[in-house]
Amino acid sequence: MPASLFDIWLGILQGLGTTVTVTLYGLMFAVPFALVFGIAQFLTHGVARLLVTSVIEFWRSSAVIILLFVFYYALPVVGITLSAMTVSAMVLGLNAGGYASQAVRAGLQALPSGQREAGAALGLSRAAILVLIELPQALVAMSPTFVNTLIQLVKATALVSLVTLTDMTFRAKEIAQVEYNPVAIYTALLLAFFVVCYPIALAGRWLEARIAAPGSRSHGI
Amino acid sequence: MGFDLAFALSSVPTILGAVGTTLCVAFVSCIGAAAIGFFFEMVRRAGGIAGLTVGFVIDFIRSTPVLAWLYFLYFVLPFYGIRLGSMTVGVMGLSLYYSGYLAEVFKAGIDAIPKGQSEAARALSLSRRHAVIYVIAPQMLRNIAAPLGNYFVSILKATPYLAVLAVPEMLGRAFDIASETYRYTEPLVVAGLIFLVLALAISNGVKRLERRLLAVGSR
Repeated sequence: MPASLFDIWLGILQGLGTTVTVTLYGLMFAVPFALVFGIAQFLTHGVARLLVTSVIEFWRSSAVIILLFVFYYALPVVGITLSAMTVSAMVLGLNAGGYASQAVRAGLQALPSGQREAGAALGLSRAAILVLIELPQALVAMSPTFVNTLIQLVKATALVSLVTLTDMTFRAKEIAQVEYNPVAIYTALLLAFFVVCYPIALAGRWLEARIAAPGSRSHGI
Repeated sequence: MGFDLAFALSSVPTILGAVGTTLCVAFVSCIGAAAIGFFFEMVRRAGGIAGLTVGFVIDFIRSTPVLAWLYFLYFVLPFYGIRLGSMTVGVMGLSLYYSGYLAEVFKAGIDAIPKGQSEAARALSLSRRHAVIYVIAPQMLRNIAAPLGNYFVSILKATPYLAVLAVPEMLGRAFDIASETYRYTEPLVVAGLIFLVLALAISNGVKRLERRLLAVGSR
């Protein structure tokens, strides 16, 4: 008896655990990278800034599928053996972190210089100004961008099926080997990603609307 | 084993030979994505049931990975008797996937034009068609030029996905070399570096264009 679209969908969702795991491990690389390098790019000048920018651009401007293959095949050659899961989380995470770092930097640059000057006038150190005044405002303003980057990260995890991890995309291809029903299988795959990513997108829109509201109120004195 | 520089250099001409295919695929996909995206945005703007449906389609596309769309087209089209080359399927997949993003670019580009512009056009008794062609479109093009350029870079970086459909672009060529020699590192590193240089060069050009357009705008 041929499997129904729903059965196939459930079969594909068996890969959801891997998709979620890669995403969460990926975030463990993406969030620190985005914060450290975004802030470093904001604070540094000259040669130091050039170095920070080159690291960011390497992760951000490379084609992520090639980065994944390069690190998957090349690391063992130089004697570093990591699991497919670790390599995937690192590459996808740092790629997403590269994008997010630009949001961090732009968020910090967009703050009026009066914010920093007011902090200095109150005798706060540069570090205290950054942590207490600049970062909280910049991170709130940039949170919708982070949500978009998270969606990109979830979608990029489809790539791990190419390095032998059994995620949703890999499950779809496995099912395709025993069942000739490409319409149902690949529709179910698209639907599986949709039910994961669409709620995140809606949450991002809600967040964006909420952030826009108090800001407009504060000027209505 | 280690990294064999001589072997890496020997793979450069073969991989570089596919640079034309890569750029061509990216360019055609970008035009396709812009055409579909503009159509989507026009239907969404018109509103009604068609507008809501297209709005949902745009959200659906943006919530699903490009790899899944490539597999979908590659395996589903032949099921209905539509047999196309893998290159055509790849270009269709990239066009469709990025149309969802370009629709948003067109939306922002049109929304950013002050309402007074179309009102002024009407006050000068321009027809709606002339108002769109002479007043709205040129200003929209200036607004979307930079984001469009950035999406061209994104599409360029997505072309290696087509290697999974056996399209002979740069990553595909790199894998050809790898499977002949059982050495993966060198050809992949070479392909990765060429992509990085291409992406950086083009996004630099886009940044320059953006600065020039902003300078014109401030006058």
